[in-house]
Amino acid sequence: MTRIAGALPLLALWAVPLLAALVMAIAAAASSAAWTALLVHPQLWPALGLSLWTGTAATCLAFICALIISAGVYRSPAWPWLQPLAATGMALPHLAFAIGFGILIMPSGLVARLGVGGDTPPNWITTQDPLGLSLTIALALKEIPFLVAMIWSLLAQGDTAAHLEGQWRAARSLGHGAGSTWLRVVQPQIMRRMTWPLLIVFSYGASVVDMALVMGPTQPPPLAVIIWNDLNHGTAANNARGIAGAILLTLAIGSLAALSLLALRALGVAARPLLSAGPSPRPAPRFIAAASVGAAVLIYSAVLMLLTLLSFAPRWPYPAILPPALSLSSWQMLLTSSPALWLSLGLAAASSIMALVLVVLWFETQPRSRDRWLLVLAAASLALPQVLIAAGQYDVLLRLGLTGDIIGLFLVHLAPVIAYAAIVLAAPYRSFDQRYIAAARSLSAGPWRRWRLVKGPLLRVPLLTAAAVGFSVSMVQFVPAQLIAAGRFETLPMAAVTLTSGGSRSLSAAFALALALPPLLVFLAAAIAGRTRWR
Amino acid sequence: MSVTLTRRRLVSLAILLPFAGAARAAADWPATEAKAKGQTVYFNAWAGSEQINAYIAWAGQELQSRHGITLQHVKITDTAEVVRRVRDEVAAGKADGSVDLVWINGENFRTMKRDKLLFGPFAEDLPNFALVDTAGKPTTRVDFAEAVDGLESPWGMAQLTFFGDGAKLGQPPRSMLDLLDFAKAHPGLVTYPAPPDFHGTTFIKQALIETIADRSLLPMPIGKEQFLAVAQPMFNFLDALHPHLWRKGKQFPPSQSQVKQQVADGELLIGLTFNPNEPANLVATGELPATTIAWQHAQGTIGNTHFVAIPINAQAKAAAQVVANFLLSPQAQARKADLAVWGDPTVLDLTRLSAADTALFTAQAAPGSVTAPAPAIPEPHGSWVPLIEASWLERYGA
Amino acid sequence: MALELQSVTLTLHGTPLIRSFNVGIINGEVVTLMGPSGSGKSALMSMIAGDLEAPFSATGRILLDGEDVSHILPERRRIGRLFQDDLLFPHMTVGENLLFGMPRGDKAARLARMQQALEDAGLAGFAPRAPHTLSGGQRARVALMRAMVAEPRAMLLDEPFNKLDAELRGVIRGFVFDHLRERGIPCLMVTHDRADAPAGGRVLRLMDGEVRDD
Repeated sequence: MTRIAGALPLLALWAVPLLAALVMAIAAAASSAAWTALLVHPQLWPALGLSLWTGTAATCLAFICALIISAGVYRSPAWPWLQPLAATGMALPHLAFAIGFGILIMPSGLVARLGVGGDTPPNWITTQDPLGLSLTIALALKEIPFLVAMIWSLLAQGDTAAHLEGQWRAARSLGHGAGSTWLRVVQPQIMRRMTWPLLIVFSYGASVVDMALVMGPTQPPPLAVIIWNDLNHGTAANNARGIAGAILLTLAIGSLAALSLLALRALGVAARPLLSAGPSPRPAPRFIAAASVGAAVLIYSAVLMLLTLLSFAPRWPYPAILPPALSLSSWQMLLTSSPALWLSLGLAAASSIMALVLVVLWFETQPRSRDRWLLVLAAASLALPQVLIAAGQYDVLLRLGLTGDIIGLFLVHLAPVIAYAAIVLAAPYRSFDQRYIAAARSLSAGPWRRWRLVKGPLLRVPLLTAAAVGFSVSMVQFVPAQLIAAGRFETLPMAAVTLTSGGSRSLSAAFALALALPPLLVFLAAAIAGRTRWR
Repeated sequence: MSVTLTRRRLVSLAILLPFAGAARAAADWPATEAKAKGQTVYFNAWAGSEQINAYIAWAGQELQSRHGITLQHVKITDTAEVVRRVRDEVAAGKADGSVDLVWINGENFRTMKRDKLLFGPFAEDLPNFALVDTAGKPTTRVDFAEAVDGLESPWGMAQLTFFGDGAKLGQPPRSMLDLLDFAKAHPGLVTYPAPPDFHGTTFIKQALIETIADRSLLPMPIGKEQFLAVAQPMFNFLDALHPHLWRKGKQFPPSQSQVKQQVADGELLIGLTFNPNEPANLVATGELPATTIAWQHAQGTIGNTHFVAIPINAQAKAAAQVVANFLLSPQAQARKADLAVWGDPTVLDLTRLSAADTALFTAQAAPGSVTAPAPAIPEPHGSWVPLIEASWLERYGA
Repeated sequence: MALELQSVTLTLHGTPLIRSFNVGIINGEVVTLMGPSGSGKSALMSMIAGDLEAPFSATGRILLDGEDVSHILPERRRIGRLFQDDLLFPHMTVGENLLFGMPRGDKAARLARMQQALEDAGLAGFAPRAPHTLSGGQRARVALMRAMVAEPRAMLLDEPFNKLDAELRGVIRGFVFDHLRERGIPCLMVTHDRADAPAGGRVLRLMDGEVRDD
């Protein structure tokens, strides 16, 4: 009975609508004409290759950097500060980062202005390069904070932290340096739990549209951009081709992800002799880690600074080091959207709290064996191109009469938040040492007391992380929200996209900062509240 | 799949049939105005410009005080989304649609007309339609070579216009051949957005018009074979142009707004727009320097009209017609044409207005305005567009 | 003297826990240090091993065969440790746990030594097993062998028998002490249970910050 009751809300509010949306979307592509049109598209295969390449390269790059940073900072005095730092980086929306990073490196960007000068910008190919390298680097830089935060929360979790502490001492007493201990003891134990976060990073990178439009190549563009153009092209034939393209991209992402998992496993087997190679005094890679963190902080600071400056500068022609004139017009225009800001904040708060309740209810009542389905659906919903899911969600909500309705709007905000909450919470929740609960039970604590006084506090870090991630995801939710709102509601991202579609970079910068600020505050609050206090 | 779709469409048509009869009622204008009172019109209009949004807000105030109509501006990014929304709503049998009025033209109009998603005909029954310059501005009745048939009401004019910093340009190129010479002299500093970006497609259409041997083919439907034959001079021109473009013509910016930004940053010398007054607006907001100039090709550039239309499942059809009529009024059109407000050229024939109304249209010359307007050339027939886009993609896409 | 502590003072938040502690332990000797919980026994172990962390701090010298190791990294001190928990690495096999700490060198020789150590512990054939498949007593023996094959110059035992049941406790105690004596390794053990101490061995008691012979 409790078992059914615990799963029902999650199934009714999330899983069933999501599956229905998928079925609707796939049914819409069940026309052979759409597939034929897709397969004769001259850019299809190079575009698909580009999508997979940028996604893979960005994921590898970001993961390697995140591991090096974690290895160098773990158990150092800087370790507690890594989480708030990563949270700051995560809070900046992807598109905002791409805009700011582009203005740093493009031919007429700040680097060229400072380093080259002259009347016309240098002939650099630093953005929109044919191989998508600038897109890859921008994606990787943007994902490093997310992966670092994931690693941090895995290691900081109460019981794991205690076990690792002892193992750390044991390894040191056996002659292993800090770097060797990380490589042989800590890292192997977190690799498997990083699977889902890596999958999200990969699928996001391979299906991203907004960053690709700013940084990515155009001839051919990544496949996601072609899909996006098709879906926005109005005609039914193009829509169908777009959905077929989205399904193809999804299948490709899924297959490559499966292959990567096998490769990662093979890598684990290949690296096995490393474990038994014997003690090595290898120190922690403090220097490389510090240099990486320093470089990332420098780039993010430059991006934030450039965005701030741009938001006050209607025009900033090459080769001026500073804008010729400053103006408040972008911020004044932003102020006209304050109702949209309040609506977004409300939706973000409500959906992150609701998602936590539903997901925790699931984990508390469902056997572990059912997690797989939850996680597959969650990861799939994040991995599928947003436009595809959004089209299906719209179809479903239209039939339920929930378009142009606040409930429909809430549900589409809730969907990705639940997916992230499930993925962020799954590993910590299931690896929770049940002996604590047994102990509490032996002290005659009831279920609510056990949760409130034992499990909740011990899982405080992942719970707060999930809430903060959910909040920020909800804040930037755009594609489905736009469809469901049907013009009756306006959220901040909608205002941002419509008001900046005229191409004003200054206004884009102002909105980027406005979108970044609330998640940033929530992340910092979560990081401060999540400091472990039970040492 | 196709079976269910057809059935669904039949059902929705049956639901919507009673509304179709309402079209003629527009002739009885006072009754329409009376019915419109108190209605709310959800006007779905692109909102990427502060000036446009402010103008629509002004129209809303006027409509409220004059007709008791609430005009709600639904701020959208892309009209194709609205088309899809209406199509989905109609397919789902939703008679109380979310859209009452939509800012539309070209392909989106053709799609809605073909799929019978539009209310009407109503446009030519609007009292103010008599003032429209249908002779001098034939695009007010033929939208991208598609007959309007009173299914949308003209609102404003657009024409392909180029701009750049006069201090850097010297003599701007006023034909595609001049542009080729200019690009050779300034390698890497000229480009155009990649189709299917609307401006990119228009640039190529302009090249087609300027290079094709027989222009009389353009308003007619065309097939692939014939297209490839008659468009050969255009491809020759593009082949010659591309090596001198930005990134040697191997990469193209994805959008017009990126081109505009690159011009502002100094990465490119020439930008393009479909609103002849956009450069002047950008000078006014400080995004382009005061030395900006705007021009059109001497032999004329592609021009078109943008309209407002009423979806077949709109809730406030009467009020939507009153809004469309108001938007055609001399006062609304004059305010829209004012550079300080929006700067969108009027669809009216000024000779048909009273002296007092004509006086509302004061000529202004602001920095960045077009100084020597060229004739507007109508868009080619809609069947050319997919062929242009597909063949461009095949030749230059990968 | 193999392991020698000179004037070791340990403080917590600046308050002294152990004042000027001196002890010398000869090769093969096991010295037992007893004291109530919170008296600083475990912190003293960390201090000797070299991974003492804030809020604790310490002064004093640690000599191994006369060499001052107070300022070198824990992994270079070659001081082995056994804890209350066996702390076998859960992602490694039993064999890999042993090889983890064994000095580098010829691969075949290392494997042979690993097999020999397991045999000595009565665990021949256990190399490919995962730690969680072993019983508590087996795990305790693996933990000791893991420390032994790392060739420690001294050994620190931190209540190592605490979590074992009474029967096993006696067996493992004997196993550990025999090995330490056989190999001539000096050992300091902290415990709160007098019965843990080896028969006839020296026992020190930590009371109010002072260490006295029992």
